[in-house]
Amino acid sequence: MQFWTGAMGITKMRAMPSSLADGYDVFVQDAVTAESLGFDAYGAPEHHFTYDGFLPFPLEALAAAAAVTTKIRLVTGAMLQTLYDPIDAAEHAATLDVLSGGRVVLGLGMGYRPLEFDGIGTAKRTRGARLRESISILGAATSQDTFSHAGDNYRYDSVALHPTPVSRPIEMWFCGGTSETAAQRAGRAGLPYWLANSPYERTKEIVEEYRRAGREAGHPEETLRVAAFKDVFIGDTVEQAETLRGIMIDAFYAEHILGYGYLVDDKGQPVYDASEDHPMYRRFVDSLYCGTLQQVKDELHRYDDLGVEAVFLPSIQRELIASQIIPEFK
Amino acid sequence: MRVGLSWEPTGADVGAAWDWIAAEAAQADGLGFDSVWISESRDGAASCPSPAVFLTYLARRTKNVHLRARRLVTHANPVRIAEEVAVLDVFSRGRAGLALTAAGAQQVAAARVHETLDFVTAAWATDEFRYRGEFIRFPTHTPDDAPPGPSTPTTRSRYVPQWERGPVTPDFLAITPKPFASMPPTSVEIADDETLEWAARNGVSPLVAAETPTSSAVERLERYRSIADSCGRRRAEVEPVLERYIGIDGEADAVALGGSCADLVEQIRDIALTSAVSHLVWRRRSPRDGDLYRFAAEVQLLLQA
Repeated sequence: MQFWTGAMGITKMRAMPSSLADGYDVFVQDAVTAESLGFDAYGAPEHHFTYDGFLPFPLEALAAAAAVTTKIRLVTGAMLQTLYDPIDAAEHAATLDVLSGGRVVLGLGMGYRPLEFDGIGTAKRTRGARLRESISILGAATSQDTFSHAGDNYRYDSVALHPTPVSRPIEMWFCGGTSETAAQRAGRAGLPYWLANSPYERTKEIVEEYRRAGREAGHPEETLRVAAFKDVFIGDTVEQAETLRGIMIDAFYAEHILGYGYLVDDKGQPVYDASEDHPMYRRFVDSLYCGTLQQVKDELHRYDDLGVEAVFLPSIQRELIASQIIPEFK
Repeated sequence: MRVGLSWEPTGADVGAAWDWIAAEAAQADGLGFDSVWISESRDGAASCPSPAVFLTYLARRTKNVHLRARRLVTHANPVRIAEEVAVLDVFSRGRAGLALTAAGAQQVAAARVHETLDFVTAAWATDEFRYRGEFIRFPTHTPDDAPPGPSTPTTRSRYVPQWERGPVTPDFLAITPKPFASMPPTSVEIADDETLEWAARNGVSPLVAAETPTSSAVERLERYRSIADSCGRRRAEVEPVLERYIGIDGEADAVALGGSCADLVEQIRDIALTSAVSHLVWRRRSPRDGDLYRFAAEVQLLLQA
């Protein structure tokens, strides 16, 4: 199993006020540290128009990381593909892929915050279809000398991508939601599928649904690859780990998960005014796994046994994870 | 006078071409050059469509030089231009800048270039704002009766944290993060008369690209200055930029400066005297154009005296 890590947002957090420029320096230094600790990939996310200055362009931040690293792969997690023209996205990715010597991995999400679509000027309503179409376009653009595409949302005629990326195609993952519907879409399209944080039992259900849909669509089992965000918190006791989790929830997660429409109800509709005891929020909190070192190892082994190819772990406790957990999986 | 470098990468080997650029940028940084410029282009295997990504990479390979992105308006969403230069500026702690390519080279109306620069600078300078232009609506639901250009809220309302505002996008949005500097330097190519006049009247720094013959370049910069002076603009508020091919110990021609280092000093000082250029950018076609160390030691230092 691969171990990926990265930044949560490169923001100015209310709970830990600091200079944004210092935060960017930490992001770059953390890439060096992650590489030296043996992590396989280092990532950056994307959001727009946030009061805290959340990073809007992950490939740009990863270019800074590329300049000071040599081996670690550079992964967007997630890049909000529906807010880009697909060819523009392919050009940015190809530029970074050349600069980094072929280390780019694209985790591509569809976004959920209405203000991002209204600010950038793309339609939220068509995001699911546009994400799947974009992934197809990105695959063609980064692997073929010239390509044409005539789809419902995008049309290109005899386009040649410059520069040609080192990786052909650039590796891509579908981060289009963690639900039965999303799993079916990813499976039917045969796309590598990257799940958001979920409790293990929920992850297992979703992965099985993804593989079932993929098999039924005729995709070979080995192409139905799975990665997962998996925040873990390690303590001498479970209570100690939960305290650490509580700090991270208060500092970052609560507002990003409770607001902006991240949570969806059982009808698939976004929830904007959830309280902290909303069942979907509780499920999210439960997905942030707390345990002793041995319990965390056991939890990650369950993901490994499930065939999860990579887990994206949080930015804290990296040294502990590298020294005590990663060697057991290599 | 400030001195910078830009490049014209050619050939089929993008890796080799970009390694050359990165190596020269790092060398220029150590030698006291003031800026490096990456142009958005799609005309060959080694062209760079994403200057901000390239420059952010260079930001971590350099400590001193300004990092200027030359962008087209045809491919990029203006919101993203504002964001990517701001991110570059934070990563480089205030060394980023933006130049927009001439309208004619992009086959767009000059007004679209002007509007893009107006939008981007408003985004950097303002918190919540909206923009109603001929080409740009931000956010998309900005009504037809909004004031033209950027506008900000005029009525006070109770503050609600952003994450508690629900699904309705506000009428005014802030583009974040903000640049490290209050206002990164911006410039626009003055290849068309409409843009030359607009830039001069509005205090926007002019840029003349390498392909323009030197005589025409000087003439355009003189016209720019004349219009700016007639509008009462102060010379200190802008940074006229002239990009030239240069061949140390080479021949001068219509677009290139050439000769010994002493000859180059004379040519550049003459140009500065007549055109008020304050930033010279050496467009590099290959390492054979001349040694950066010689230029730094024998030309750059003598331009100031």
